[in-house]
Amino acid sequence: MSRVLGRRFVRADGLPKVTGQARYAADLVLPGMLHAAFLHAGVPRARIRRLDVSAARALPGVLAVLTQDDVPFVRFGAAVEDRTLFAHEVVRFEGEILAAVAALTPELADRACRLIEVELEALPPVLDPEAALAPGAPLVHEDWQDYSANDGIVRDGNDCGFVNIVKGDIEAGFAAADEIVEGRYVADMSHPVPIEPHAVLAQWEGDRVTVWSTTQTPFPARNGLTRTLELPESAVRVVVPHLGGGFGGKCEFHFEAHVAALARAARRPVRLVFDRRQEFTATDMARHGIIATFRTGVRRDGTIVAHEASLILDTGAYATHGPVITEIATMMAAGPYRHPNMLVEGRTVYSNRTPAGSTRAPSGPQVCWALEQHVDAIAERLGLDKLEFRLRNIVAEGDEGPTGQRFEKIGARESLLEAARLIGWGRPLPPGDGMGLAVGWWFSAPGPAGCYIKLNADGSATVVTGAQENGSGSVMGLALLAAEELGLAPERISLVYQDTDAGAFDSGSSGSQTTFNVGRAVLAASAQIRDRLLRMAADELEANPLDLELVEGVVRAKDAPGRSVVIAALARRAQDDGELITGQGNPPAPKMPDSLGGSCAGRVAFPAFAAPAFFAHAARVRVDRETGVVRVLEVAAGHEFGRVLNPIGVEGQVEGGIVHGLGIALSEGTVFRDGNQANPHLLDYKLQTAADVPAMKIAFVDAPAADGGPYGSKGVGEPPVVPTAAAVANAIAAATGVRVRHLPMTPVRVWAALAGEDA
Amino acid sequence: MAVAVGRTYHAPASLDEAIALLAELGNDAGVVAGGTDLVVAARGGRRQLPTALVAIHRLSELATIEGSPFGGLALGALVTHADLERSDLVRRRWTALADAAALVGSPATRHVGTLGGNLCNASPAMESGAPLLVYDASVELRSASGTRGLPLADFLLGPARTALAPGELLTGVTVPPQPAGRVGSAYLRLDYRASMEIAVVGAAVLVALDADGRCTEARIALTAVAPTVVRAADAETALRGQLPTTERVAAAAARAAAAARPIDDVRATARYRTAMVPVIVRRAIEAALKRAEEEAA
Repeated sequence: MSRVLGRRFVRADGLPKVTGQARYAADLVLPGMLHAAFLHAGVPRARIRRLDVSAARALPGVLAVLTQDDVPFVRFGAAVEDRTLFAHEVVRFEGEILAAVAALTPELADRACRLIEVELEALPPVLDPEAALAPGAPLVHEDWQDYSANDGIVRDGNDCGFVNIVKGDIEAGFAAADEIVEGRYVADMSHPVPIEPHAVLAQWEGDRVTVWSTTQTPFPARNGLTRTLELPESAVRVVVPHLGGGFGGKCEFHFEAHVAALARAARRPVRLVFDRRQEFTATDMARHGIIATFRTGVRRDGTIVAHEASLILDTGAYATHGPVITEIATMMAAGPYRHPNMLVEGRTVYSNRTPAGSTRAPSGPQVCWALEQHVDAIAERLGLDKLEFRLRNIVAEGDEGPTGQRFEKIGARESLLEAARLIGWGRPLPPGDGMGLAVGWWFSAPGPAGCYIKLNADGSATVVTGAQENGSGSVMGLALLAAEELGLAPERISLVYQDTDAGAFDSGSSGSQTTFNVGRAVLAASAQIRDRLLRMAADELEANPLDLELVEGVVRAKDAPGRSVVIAALARRAQDDGELITGQGNPPAPKMPDSLGGSCAGRVAFPAFAAPAFFAHAARVRVDRETGVVRVLEVAAGHEFGRVLNPIGVEGQVEGGIVHGLGIALSEGTVFRDGNQANPHLLDYKLQTAADVPAMKIAFVDAPAADGGPYGSKGVGEPPVVPTAAAVANAIAAATGVRVRHLPMTPVRVWAALAGEDA
Repeated sequence: MAVAVGRTYHAPASLDEAIALLAELGNDAGVVAGGTDLVVAARGGRRQLPTALVAIHRLSELATIEGSPFGGLALGALVTHADLERSDLVRRRWTALADAAALVGSPATRHVGTLGGNLCNASPAMESGAPLLVYDASVELRSASGTRGLPLADFLLGPARTALAPGELLTGVTVPPQPAGRVGSAYLRLDYRASMEIAVVGAAVLVALDADGRCTEARIALTAVAPTVVRAADAETALRGQLPTTERVAAAAARAAAAARPIDDVRATARYRTAMVPVIVRRAIEAALKRAEEEAA
């Protein structure tokens, strides 16, 4: 770990992106291409009485109009198979697709949509997730018992995923407590809001279709397409041009099948490009709205002895990843604290809202925001400093996680101390300012990954993977790993990625998994090439391969750097002699940590957190007490990612996570009126702007994981977005003396809290 | 509906040509300058484009900022927010207008969006309206049958409603000389984030001070709390003729709420808006007073 890793490398796709050379899905044009438009339901819950597309089909220039009647009746879904491509009999959210049109121009396609005759019988929408859990409540899915679901998912009516963690003896814990603190916190739904909206272009050649899509997960997208249109995987190629951000919103399968079906029916290439309203209302990966309640027993010395939490996640009209996210949420509701006795329950509740799913660190920021405010409230009750209270309970090596996993060397405590040090915890502040702390943890997601590397005859190399570059730079970073192993300059490594025909299966840019899993495959593939080069060089140099190293484009003797042979010469000679030097890696995924397993219900994907990253953020805010407007002046971040491989990339992820987290904290929330989004546009769904970005200080704690990614690294993409909102909330409370228990903490809500109201 | 069937586009080269076109096209005509409201609303499906688009960007005679000999100000309709934000004259003497121009949308919007467009769009949340109200500005409306002037307060009738008649073009804004004494003006907006905001509550204030520091004139206007930008007469009366002590300023600001008739919407509750009016007005009065006091030095 010396020549390449740990140094600051600028990613290879940076220049084309900032100079406008990079091409995105919506930029692509094919000869004869048609334009797609969707007719959305526009109402949150209804029964379809009539759907007549004949007038739309008759409009000149319209080449295809499709409804559910025109595609196979196949239910699909990542966790619960609860949906169809088009609305079938009922409408469950406003963005539900009733019909799709392909026409010569976008205007004609829109006009055809308006010619479709629809009769909807409006039904009262299910919008209150607590009421939806009551016996006899109207069911969002009346046929829920007929749906298939992944093994282990516990469902009951509107709850499509019940999860719990049971540890120790909760009643005995409360009996031993000196103080019991309770709290309830509510978070609104928010959105991933990538700058690039969803776009899909499909073209058939014979029985094969190529789909260019804005997906973060090309293989799951292909899987959805093959399943819903009943095609073999070999008949579908999914390619992602450059992706303009995803933040989880482009995970899984979306509109690839609709567009492929249109292109097949129209016998022409068809392109779909979403507008911003569709991006808000008709996608299905919003960040869950939650209701979190806590009850925690502590001893006077600050020891937590009992921790009870109940989480309700509003997953909207369809489950998507909801049940799995609720499982993650229960782990987040425990937090990185020692809990001898714990009972956490999570419910994944259907409603007639836009479906929620895997937005960056799904459930993480909301649950951390709720838990860490609760933790501050406990410290206040005990009269303990908030840093001190956390230090007394935070997990360290040898401690047991919520589901019984045993922690190895971790940097939870050190990250907290770093954040506190960088913000100057405890220093005097001007009136109106306040400081807050929050800690958290997040997993790395072990999974299958493969890599193929070709050594070119000029000594450059090409790395081929199925990985997806969502903008985080993790695929770009794969070149650094290969360069380190092969002794080549990173600029000599090219990458082929996000094309299902080229690379091996990959679960995509989700779960902070790319470096963690694909990185190990790159190391394995590089090792094969490296071994071959070492043997060839050993012959030539008459040396033992163990005494040689690959450095700066040559293979050389470790003790006599002058004795060397150029890698390009070896590659050229091999090719001339009829041998191609390639490597292939598909190492097994790291095992999940041992956990309680059987005593917890509904645990399907994350019985424990593999190679968990630990972190803490600290924020300093200034609150305008008259208006409730909060300005965040400073955020300090301490992060343990196992080992940092490319500091410039990781700092970028942390800075981006902080800014994303500030939006979640202060301004990003979906407002619903009677089940329709009232702010599906960027004027009133307020992202943070460059002018809002505070001073940021970042420190990394080194604690390589034994069962981690390359060189002991852990997933980086999601953790940084988790604790910022919580730190800001605690800073607001410190500045004002009141807690804001509704996320986002808008000026109206802060002002109402200051006035003693719950807004 | 939004299909471009039978739609025409005109780009007159002179004001006379534009006026003649508007007379000819009548109710079908819609004027486009920067397009930051018209085009965005059409793209978003909120409003259709007019059947006949009359683009006035070539009428360079409407892009001028001029001081009048007696201390007034004449602004062409095509003056952009960025022009106002950068003009030395506006920044020095018509500070509230410069404050407001600098707050409009994004830099891109400010460079393309025009004063005339902002007024004709008649949003209650417009930035340029409240400052022009406290300057007692009038709009100049030209048509084939002549030119008329109308006080801005009479021009703005409600959300997206103005007194502009078919065939009329808003060609400019005239502002009379400021009152005697040391004059200061300011525009303040409540912002949820640090840029790219739209008004939830805004206030423009003009004060004139005599040698003793007494308020000889006080004018206050509010943004985004009523169907149009409005003057807050009660608050003005409370300040006029008074020494602007902290208590009097606060009391005057509190009376500004009487002019507010806010609504509940996605940006804020009516209660919040009502509560914010005195806060923002008080801060705007303080800012205007500070500028007036600096005039003396």
